[in-house]
Amino acid sequence: MANSTVALRAYRDGLHLIIRPHLSITEVEAAIQQEISRMNRSLAGASVQIDLKSPTLKEAEIEFLSSKLKETYDLTVRGVEVADEPVAPPIAAAPTTHVISQTTDTVNPRDSEPSRIVPYTIRSGQTEEFPQGSLIIYGDVNSGGEVRAGGDIVVLGTLRGSAYAGANGRLSAVIIAMDFAPLQLQIGTHMNRSSVNQEPRGYPEIARIGADDIIIVEKFVKF
Amino acid sequence: MGKVIVVTSGKGGVGKTTSTANLGTALALLDKTVAVVDADVGLRNLDIVMGLESRIVYTSMDVIEKQCELSKALVRDRRVDGLMLLAASQKNNKDDIQPEQMKAICDKLRTTHDFVLIDSPAGIERGFSNASAGADEAIVVTTPDVSAIRDADRIIGLLQNARIEPINLVINRFSPQLVGNGSMMDQADVLDILNIDLIGVVPEDSAVITSTNRGIPLVYEDGSPGAQAYMRIARRLTGQRIPIHSFEQKGLLNNIVNWFTRKR
Ligand SMILES: Nc1ncnc2c1ncn2[C@@H]1O[C@H](COP(=O)(O)OP(=O)(O)OP(=O)(O)O)[C@@H](O)[C@H]1O
Ligand SMILES: [Mg+2]
Repeated sequence: MANSTVALRAYRDGLHLIIRPHLSITEVEAAIQQEISRMNRSLAGASVQIDLKSPTLKEAEIEFLSSKLKETYDLTVRGVEVADEPVAPPIAAAPTTHVISQTTDTVNPRDSEPSRIVPYTIRSGQTEEFPQGSLIIYGDVNSGGEVRAGGDIVVLGTLRGSAYAGANGRLSAVIIAMDFAPLQLQIGTHMNRSSVNQEPRGYPEIARIGADDIIIVEKFVKF
Repeated sequence: MGKVIVVTSGKGGVGKTTSTANLGTALALLDKTVAVVDADVGLRNLDIVMGLESRIVYTSMDVIEKQCELSKALVRDRRVDGLMLLAASQKNNKDDIQPEQMKAICDKLRTTHDFVLIDSPAGIERGFSNASAGADEAIVVTTPDVSAIRDADRIIGLLQNARIEPINLVINRFSPQLVGNGSMMDQADVLDILNIDLIGVVPEDSAVITSTNRGIPLVYEDGSPGAQAYMRIARRLTGQRIPIHSFEQKGLLNNIVNWFTRKR
């Protein structure tokens, strides 16, 4: 699985556009177009930070890119950073209840939802659905397999397939997996296909809707 | 009462026919009575790989249509005792046979043979349901690449739904060199996804191709890594406990690298 040349990722502080080294400006432009069309939703009005994995693009080229992003996609560049690694969000300082505390109701919406335990692995071609509430999978969800839940989805193994949470419209729904490398994620009507890992990172991760209505994926520490 | 084992994969061309021919022959060399059944109706080739194509007179279709007795349709392999082939019809297609008809054939064969190996066609449709209809157990063959593995995963789900177990895995065309330089999945990666028991790893071996072309299953001429791998799998099928041979490159440096790059 080759690393793509340009990756659009949603971190806690918003969108990041990660550009890998040794690319010409034309290659970058083409890759950006491809990556943005993969997002499957309009990014108009959003802001993005450019993370250069090494300083291969000249300043004038970055200027050019910024105006191009504004013109073509209505994306505002809020900053440019040169880093060896994509600038990851500071995990420890994460206000983990951020999204949940946004909801105005004081009762925990999960209290009124049933949940179902699935004590096996969901294999390619299989679908597990539970529109009434949350799903807990005691196994993996393999590539080509699918889980759909009205509420949360918790995978106690590796998530490699597709997960659709919050189908009942609860936007605080989350997707948690011990090893997180899904093909596709959806929470409510929010889709995400680009800011997910291709390889598990070796720690549990959680996906939820963050600022800008974009699905963010981060290390799962506690709820 | 013998065991009926379907050899299947989902994806085409990963080595089902090669595995059926070699395991069938290997089991016969281990003094078992074996019937190998080609279930790839319309695209038969188990007879060619076994070098028996010139001797086919009747097929499973003739048995189903009551044109001949099952015992008459079985072709005896003269190179080893106790090995028989039931060929598939080349003129018909997979929809001309019902799963119950295949099951009836399997149920008869198991009364006269220790092992009945069914060579399944690729795919998940009728051909697969016919091939697995009479099976007690399954051998899933995969190559170590993502698309074959995803198809194997799909097939494993279908076999589990059909309550066929155990389901054992053969990883075919394994290349230690490619794993060593990081361009092929290793054994652990494959097992991590498929999560079934591994019964053997068959290396990429050019002797397989020459043996296919000559119609002499590899295991007749011991010595090649592929032949040895199939002999070990056959022994495991007979209940012998022998450790899985690791083709992965040893060497101190490799072990250290593996230790550091291991996922968990
Ligand atoms: N271990 C191996 N090393 C080298 N070549 C191999 C190996 N196993 C199989 N092959 C080659 O791969 C090709 C496909 O093998 P085979 O016909 O057994 O696959 P199959 O799964 O039965 O295919 P189909 O789905 O078409 O029935 C053949 O040419 C065979 O010689
Ligand atoms: Mg075949």
